[in-house]
Amino acid sequence: MAKKSDTLLETQLSEFSPGKDPFEKSRRKGVSSWILSHIFYRSNKAFILIILFTTILASILASIISVIIGLAIEEFLNANLSSLIIFTIIILTLGLITPIFRLINFMQRELLAQRLERDTRKEFYTNLLGKSQSFHDKQKIGDLMARVTDDVRMLNFLMSPAISLILESFTSLIIPLFFIIFLYPLELVLEPIIFTFLFLITLRSYNRKLSPVTGKLRMNFGMINATLNEALSGIEVVKGSTKELYELNKYLNYAEKYRDAYIEQGKIQAKYLPILYLALIITIGFTHSLILYLNGMISIGQIISYLALLGLLRFPTFISIFVFAIIKLAGSSAQRLLELMNQSTEINENPEGIKKDLEGSIVFDQVSFKYPGSDKYVLKNISFEVRPGQTVAIVGTTGSGKTTLTKLISRLYDVSEGKILVDNIDIRDYSLKSLRDQISYIEQDVFLFSFSLFDNITFGRTSVLEEVINAANQAQAHEFISDLAKGYESEIGERGVQLSGGERQRIAIARAFLSNPRLLILDDSTSAIDSNTEDKIQYAIKNILKNRTTFLITHRLSQIRWANLIIVLKNGEISAKGTHEELLKTSGEYRKIFVKKFDLNEERLIKGEI
Amino acid sequence: MVWVGLDAEVYDRQYKDRRLIKRIFSYFSPYKKYMGIVILFLTISSLTTAFVPLITSIAITNLQFNADPTYFLFLILLILVLNVLSFLFNYYRQKNAAKALGYVVLDLRKDATNSILNHDLSFFDKNPTGKIVSRINTDSREFGQMVELTIEVISSVFVMLILIFLLLTINSFLTFLMLIAIPIFFIVALSYRKLARKMTLLGQRALASVNAFAKESFSGIQIAKTFGQEQKLYDQFNMVNIQSYKVNLKRAFTLNAIFPTLGIVQGIVLAILVYYGGNFLIFNSINAGDFNMFLQSLNLLFFPLLTIASFWPQFQAGLSAAERIFSIIDTPPVVVQRNNLIPEKLKGEIEFKNLIFQYEEGKKVFDNFSLKIKPGESLAIVGHTGAGKSSLANLIARFYEFQGGDIVVDGISIRDYDLTEYRRQIGIIPQIPFLWADTVENNINYGCSSAKCEDVISALDKAGGSEWTNSLPNGLNTNVGERGSLLSMGQRQLVAFARVLLEDPSILILDEATASVDPFTETRIQDALEITMEGRTSIVIAHRLWTVRHVDRIIVLENGKIIEEGNHAELMSQKGYYATLYNTYFRHQSLQYIEEMGKT
Repeated sequence: MAKKSDTLLETQLSEFSPGKDPFEKSRRKGVSSWILSHIFYRSNKAFILIILFTTILASILASIISVIIGLAIEEFLNANLSSLIIFTIIILTLGLITPIFRLINFMQRELLAQRLERDTRKEFYTNLLGKSQSFHDKQKIGDLMARVTDDVRMLNFLMSPAISLILESFTSLIIPLFFIIFLYPLELVLEPIIFTFLFLITLRSYNRKLSPVTGKLRMNFGMINATLNEALSGIEVVKGSTKELYELNKYLNYAEKYRDAYIEQGKIQAKYLPILYLALIITIGFTHSLILYLNGMISIGQIISYLALLGLLRFPTFISIFVFAIIKLAGSSAQRLLELMNQSTEINENPEGIKKDLEGSIVFDQVSFKYPGSDKYVLKNISFEVRPGQTVAIVGTTGSGKTTLTKLISRLYDVSEGKILVDNIDIRDYSLKSLRDQISYIEQDVFLFSFSLFDNITFGRTSVLEEVINAANQAQAHEFISDLAKGYESEIGERGVQLSGGERQRIAIARAFLSNPRLLILDDSTSAIDSNTEDKIQYAIKNILKNRTTFLITHRLSQIRWANLIIVLKNGEISAKGTHEELLKTSGEYRKIFVKKFDLNEERLIKGEI
Repeated sequence: MVWVGLDAEVYDRQYKDRRLIKRIFSYFSPYKKYMGIVILFLTISSLTTAFVPLITSIAITNLQFNADPTYFLFLILLILVLNVLSFLFNYYRQKNAAKALGYVVLDLRKDATNSILNHDLSFFDKNPTGKIVSRINTDSREFGQMVELTIEVISSVFVMLILIFLLLTINSFLTFLMLIAIPIFFIVALSYRKLARKMTLLGQRALASVNAFAKESFSGIQIAKTFGQEQKLYDQFNMVNIQSYKVNLKRAFTLNAIFPTLGIVQGIVLAILVYYGGNFLIFNSINAGDFNMFLQSLNLLFFPLLTIASFWPQFQAGLSAAERIFSIIDTPPVVVQRNNLIPEKLKGEIEFKNLIFQYEEGKKVFDNFSLKIKPGESLAIVGHTGAGKSSLANLIARFYEFQGGDIVVDGISIRDYDLTEYRRQIGIIPQIPFLWADTVENNINYGCSSAKCEDVISALDKAGGSEWTNSLPNGLNTNVGERGSLLSMGQRQLVAFARVLLEDPSILILDEATASVDPFTETRIQDALEITMEGRTSIVIAHRLWTVRHVDRIIVLENGKIIEEGNHAELMSQKGYYATLYNTYFRHQSLQYIEEMGKT
């Protein structure tokens, strides 16, 4: 559980806290050094040694079998009957030992791969948890999920099989060379060396040709998914506007591009030259060894062993195509992870700042705001004053800056110009934790975690049931919670209870009652018309406003009506402010709402007769 | 790999294997030319591949007896030519296979998409979009991979068969010894599969729970931050992450153990071959080259077996992917027109005659429902959820087929109209207007095909004013994002109004949003509604106080029946169901309520 401390929010998080994070530096250096630092992290080193050892051993054993078979044939040709049993036993032993080493190798590389997945996922998750709100606002959940699951998993595949196979390919290229050097006339080593050289060169150009095509393939696959998804999501509009054919053609356009890329890819893959080179080198090697035989320099058994050793080069030749595809994918996956992790947190948390109990007066002094990296002001020159305990209603169309304005108060973002004073002190001078502890936020679409209702209301606070029930009562939520089979212990979410929007909102209000903040921000702007509970919600909201400074983002005329101050935002600027009565007189736009909606007489409205 | 999460769907059918294969072949038949080349070259290249070890063995054997260099030169040249030919044939084989497959997959996608787009909405109610999309795109890709794999496997099985034949002619006893391994191989592989499938399922579940938890924490990150709850999230994440690690490690261990196990089988067979073959060699009943050929063939024999064993699940997955696509293509649409009368400009007279309608067997939404709507009339439908309000609108748009009675528009049953032409004259504004991830302008003239489409601005002006678009980053050229997420619900409604105004339909169907819209936009929507309803038959599923007060007629639906009918004032004075509904539902939007709430 959380240790309550006065330090930064993020520093509570175990081993990945700033300064202690072992991967912080390597992340900055880029993909390969980041991955390497993970592979060689602490206890992983033992696995690496075992993998290295078993891989080399497996290659040596494979070469030995090739040599032994040649020797065996040599002996058999000399009609040496006693050697039969010996060679059978030797080959049986090798045939049984090699898979066992291979098994150990597989186990270790899987262990390392799974650890890599576990650790990078933990690192990524923790890192994101510590990012500022402005960072999270920019993320799409679906995209984050893809990174947490699939991209991290690609790192697993990178280790097993990709890197392991490369290691194996490497040893399969090198080890037979040594056997050839030690057992044969040196000139026979020429063939495998020439092959290795040709192989590496061709591989490079092959990959260069292939990668743009696979990129095209991936992109167009994404596009056919996106277009079809959109067409089907809007199927009512498609049918209503009779645009079926148009949508089909839009889809086919990408599907055809996909086909072309697919055919292109097939062509390039068919032209994978190392396969031809290998066949030719083996033939040349065969010829070479025949010549040596005819000159009496080697035996038939040696020819056979030599061919078998050359045959070991098949493994790297065939496996390389597959391996490079994985490495490429894993590289871009790692890039996608780093891209997010390397973004810095913009908010200075000022842990040494002022900690005090707030009164709740708020002053916006010439506040302007633009998102980091953007030129466009979302809020311009906002100034107003609120006395402790007052209610401020913020109205305006979507995109006018309502939500952003309230986020500045809890410092989810910092102002770009001007300042915000709480109790006449700039909010940046407070300790962020102390400030946030006294601010509650009830968001538009109340989000509940899949904990129990009790935990969702207490949310980290140690409270007894009575306090929770009391808070729920004030929030008009106790009644429906009691009706649930498990009451306050009901789990929320997919496997638990599903609550309606109005019910969620009242849970959030109960949470706010319990934390009893000096400042409350309540975003009520997207709530649906929920007529059966409308009264209850209104009373709950009225209750929570008492005795604290409240910012209400709302569409409900009833709430606007009872606010001490109404701020009308338009394109990030205050277009009108005042009480209801004042605005009816001063703002035509505000007046029009009442005139139109209730068929009122505008002149009488201005005079205050209605 | 084993695929999960693909449960049977309503439109699934079980194809008999023969029919499925026939169906697959029918897709390849337009590309006979390519496939012919594939099959021909596949056979030839298998032959050349199998003959290289044979000639090598002949050469080695002859070393013992023959020392004529020209003879060896001939053999080597032969091997060289065979190798080059083998590569060339393989190249043409792969190239043509890619061509044929590229086209076949495209044809599958085209047919499936075409079939999907012609289904009525009942199909989409039953099948979530994501699943359909993955069936069309991913399943077709999987099918393609399966065919690629099959071709590879066939070609290596070919090589295997030719080799077995050659080996039989050399020494049948040794050949039989080798073949004994095949059933053992399969028994091991098959018994593994069950275990592997179970472990994979567990592994996927564990990963899914990591995914779910991460999704939840990032969805609620803001609230977690404001309440300082990061540690709690971290602890829980750590738990599910470690759980996933443990389960997936077990899975990986199990899956990987199969290859060494099969390796042991291969090792034993090799030893047996060495023993018996060595025996023959010592007693000169086999020669060195042939013996070596047996030993080297072991790999060529085991490789296809290994491929088949490890890709068997993928092969099955590919077949069922094909089956799923065919079932999509073969599901007939429910809404079928009897005739194709092309309507002139409709007057907009609508009559429901003894209508019977149900979404599901046994749950009638309308039973003997009758209603007449006059041309140009504005009608509001109110009633509780499930009363049949949206169904009524959907039936007029012919999004669903009805089971009995008739719907007559301008005196003609809607089943007799040309569906495209008929729908052109109907404008629909759904509760949550759907916008394309395109510019505001393109969203408005979507569905419009004539010159008047140019006038997007005046359409917007009519729909409550166009100046709100100025505050968008690029005005009318702003991309509104997925489903229009960049715009507020109210703004999306305004775009939908403008879209309908451009279409200028004879019949307007509007499902009002239940979500609250900011008061400024709401007054615009009222303006837009006023203008849009003018001069056409309008059917509004009403949630707004203002609307119910301004229409010609209100009908109150309850369980698919009209229980009250009249205008607002009449219905209020009846003090019946509408009056009650008004007091619980619409009252909150009234001025009295607002004043009351302000006082208490």
